[in-house]
Amino acid sequence: MSAPALSTTTTPAVVVEGLGKVFHPPGGALDLLRGRLFRAPVRALADVSFTVAAGEIVCMMGPNGAGKSTLARILGGLLAPSSGRAVVAGHDAAASSPELRRTVSFVVGDERSFHFAVSGRENLLYYAALHGLDARTGARRADELLARVGLATAADRRYREYSRGMRQRLAVARGLLGDPSVLLLDEPTLGLDPVGARDLRAFLRDEVVRGAGRTAVVCSNDPGEARALADRVLLLAGGRLEREVAPARIEAELGLAP
Amino acid sequence: MTTPPPLPSRARWFWRTFAAFVRREMASMSGYRAAFVTRMLGFASAVVGLVFLSRFVGAAANPHLAPYGGNYLGFAAIGFLATELQQVGVSGLARRVRTAQIMGTFEAELATPAPAWMVLGAAPVYEFGTSAMRSALYLWGATIVAGLHLPRANALSVAVAVPLVLAAFIGLGLLTAGSTMLARRLNPISTVLGSLSLFLSGVIYPVSVLPPWLRHLGRLLPLTHALECLRGAFLVGATPADLAGSLMALALFAAILIPLGAATFAFALRRARIDGSLTHY
Repeated sequence: MSAPALSTTTTPAVVVEGLGKVFHPPGGALDLLRGRLFRAPVRALADVSFTVAAGEIVCMMGPNGAGKSTLARILGGLLAPSSGRAVVAGHDAAASSPELRRTVSFVVGDERSFHFAVSGRENLLYYAALHGLDARTGARRADELLARVGLATAADRRYREYSRGMRQRLAVARGLLGDPSVLLLDEPTLGLDPVGARDLRAFLRDEVVRGAGRTAVVCSNDPGEARALADRVLLLAGGRLEREVAPARIEAELGLAP
Repeated sequence: MTTPPPLPSRARWFWRTFAAFVRREMASMSGYRAAFVTRMLGFASAVVGLVFLSRFVGAAANPHLAPYGGNYLGFAAIGFLATELQQVGVSGLARRVRTAQIMGTFEAELATPAPAWMVLGAAPVYEFGTSAMRSALYLWGATIVAGLHLPRANALSVAVAVPLVLAAFIGLGLLTAGSTMLARRLNPISTVLGSLSLFLSGVIYPVSVLPPWLRHLGRLLPLTHALECLRGAFLVGATPADLAGSLMALALFAAILIPLGAATFAFALRRARIDGSLTHY
């Protein structure tokens, strides 16, 4: 597989400065009896700072609970940070404005995020409306994207009949409905077979990101994914940014090299 | 990647979202035939039940029904319809939030540029629409099967009362949805309100049969005033002036409940963005 070419410009697409997130889980009945409204706070992110250049693909790696998904949700405007700031494509992520959510697309890999009883096309048409597209433009865009992700022939099949790989590709198509400039991909190939994962990565890298001049932040646990997709890998552990790693050296850095 | 077109006006955007939502619901319904058949059977049994209830009660002249033209069939039909309207208003939005959280679609929907009220608002509007259609069918069924007559309906009073009834119920709905998000479960407001209303608002019997203190308690419920307005307008042709007291009460409920409900709901959404509970269920 060819090494991805890094295209850089002077304006960063993502700027993260001293970002922190602390959760205060609500207490249960026993906590209330003990006079506590909340359980012990959980620090998910602490003082995280980095930038991503426009056109770059950066992979956030780390063990489960490292804070990758929390970071992606903050960048997508779905979660408010406790401290620091994140600016994505010129928009303050904490404000979660419609402009931010239009420029940035959070590709949710969760299979449950679609309606199971309707077709892939119907699902996309609904989300196209949420992007403000009229019925005709939405239909055109949905068909175009279904073809791009290789689901044209399965467009009218119910979502519940889709395989795992088809569901992931539909999630990518949904993420592209608003033609975003920054993509946040949370475990984009999770659960896919090796060939399906390889094909989806190549598609994401060559067509969705590089081919369209987009920027991407990918959250993953898979060194193979980082190597195949990323220009840079940032390692997170315990909510802190530990170090930056070259994709080619990721296995060695993680102690996984034979 | 191209320069995106400007976002549409909020009204146009909501209409597009609503149309797409309805289309998806229709497509979804066609995938659940058993649910559709069950709903139709439920509707038919409600109409048939009304026939027997009115035969039973209508057999005896009842002085408590005199203010309603002695028309128990109409009295009960409007009671059931208004109760359903309250149920839709109070729990429609809360159910939408819970369903989206449980199905896992909530986060994906809120990740789009559409404001939260637009994402969530289409469902209750759709439910009000389908409820209105069901109500019309129910009245039609009661007319055909049970001989319901509403010859004295006052269209002006109906036109004034219905928006106020809906506004009061929407206020309650916002409050319920906000507290549902905060509590992360379907809260008991709608159940408690439903039971209390059935008991105190005079859904199946006139409130005049209640002792005075319970009648006063019933006046604290929007459904009591909604029923007074709707029954007055449909059954005895009451004018807006005749219904002024109840119309004012409904306006007051709406004026208090809508801002309070909207503030609760906005607070709940903000909290969900802080504590990360958009997808919790």
